[in-house]
Amino acid sequence: MKIKKILLTSTIFLFIIYLVYLLNNEKFSNIKAKAYITNQGNNTVSVVDLHKLKNFKTLQVGTAPLGITILKQHNLGFIGNVGSENISVIDTNKDEIIQTIKLNTAPLSLTSSPDESRVFVTDWFKNKIIIISVKKLSVINSFTVGKTPSGITFNKKLNYLIVTNRDENTIEIYNGDTYQLINKLATGKHPFGVYTEDKFAYTANVYDDTITIIDLENWSTKTIKVGAHPYNVITHKHLSFVTNTQGDSLSVINLHTNKELKKISTGETPENLDIHQKLNLLVVTNWGSDSINVYDLRNLKLLKEISTGSQSRAFGKFILQ
Amino acid sequence: MKRFIIFLSTIFLSLQIFAHGPTPQKVQESVTINVPPAKAWALVKDFGAVHKWLPAIATTKVEKKGKDTFRTLTFKAGGGVYEKLRLIDNEAKKIKYEIIEGDVPFTDYNSYIKVRKGKNDNESIVQWTARFYRTYKLNPPIPEGQDDATAVAAVKAIVSPGLENLKKVLEAK
Repeated sequence: MKIKKILLTSTIFLFIIYLVYLLNNEKFSNIKAKAYITNQGNNTVSVVDLHKLKNFKTLQVGTAPLGITILKQHNLGFIGNVGSENISVIDTNKDEIIQTIKLNTAPLSLTSSPDESRVFVTDWFKNKIIIISVKKLSVINSFTVGKTPSGITFNKKLNYLIVTNRDENTIEIYNGDTYQLINKLATGKHPFGVYTEDKFAYTANVYDDTITIIDLENWSTKTIKVGAHPYNVITHKHLSFVTNTQGDSLSVINLHTNKELKKISTGETPENLDIHQKLNLLVVTNWGSDSINVYDLRNLKLLKEISTGSQSRAFGKFILQ
Repeated sequence: MKRFIIFLSTIFLSLQIFAHGPTPQKVQESVTINVPPAKAWALVKDFGAVHKWLPAIATTKVEKKGKDTFRTLTFKAGGGVYEKLRLIDNEAKKIKYEIIEGDVPFTDYNSYIKVRKGKNDNESIVQWTARFYRTYKLNPPIPEGQDDATAVAAVKAIVSPGLENLKKVLEAK
């Protein structure tokens, strides 16, 4: 009788544990987590499941896709095709191309307004920012900026649209609604990628192996030495990560001391990077090895290298979360 | 020689003035060689010995400037390039270098050669990867001979026969 009771109690107990496990697992897998990787060498986008760490679908887009931005509220992905001079729009629920927007100029990088009503595209050849209405999926406006606009980002806190002009070594800050120039500052040589968080903007300066940190409130700037030919930069808490394309590494910067803490190995020619906040993942695209590296943000250990397409770049926010 | 120096200076100046276009080009080729990886690596890593296996090269001259190592390669067909050594990684068996200035129809050339073990201890796989841009940096239309296709063809014309001859030289030893 006693044994029966013990057995029954333990069975119920195990069942409850199992239920809790199932519930948690369900909660975890419900978090959106996909990476969209532009492969400039074979005109595709690889769709990677960041739960399973698996490349599960390849989408044909325009020629030489490079820039990307993901609109999580709308479940859309915008891809800039440098060769065919257009934008491919992806429905991220179905992972299908739903529209192609003609530009007739080379789109280099993309970002969106915080409310996701507009997408901004840097026009490399004509030195402009092109504005696309997300509702209409068509170009509604454009304005002229500095020479060879490369990276673009939007600071939500200050309502600033921020662009790096690679061939004139500057960063420009525009009002996010009126597009009036607020300030223009010098960066290191050849600023390419740009990132913003809180009241700071960060540029990766390809030719002098540095990043520039700009305080968007008092306009002071700082320069930090990183590895060879940095392309892009991102921050997480007090750390900043920089892709060193010719160093095959990431520089890890402590933003309290403004010093490089260490370098972590990547694949060959790492170009761009993005973070999945809830899953604590750092994803890096490897142009040279046609793959992405996924790191655990908590210990910076490599979880997996996943094969993608040819010449993976994904310049912009490429993670759906 | 004088003409060569003038040419180098012109290219060097043009590299400083212009930036590259938006799409980097890639040439990546491999060859399987029937020698142990250590033997293949010994030749590949020798920054001053590239003329011993790369058919296009007539001479190699290595020089040190502070911590940095450079080499001047002259082409059998005339002209040449000035290159900077970026890395020799003995553990990964990888050498990286870039062209600083040169007599070539491409720019911003960065290259690396890796040696790894093949199917057995006596087999090596040598992989050569080059990243570069076309010479024309401005808006389209792109003039003939300065486009992506020309740049890719020129790099392939060095890499393909290079790896083929590397195999021949190593296996003959």
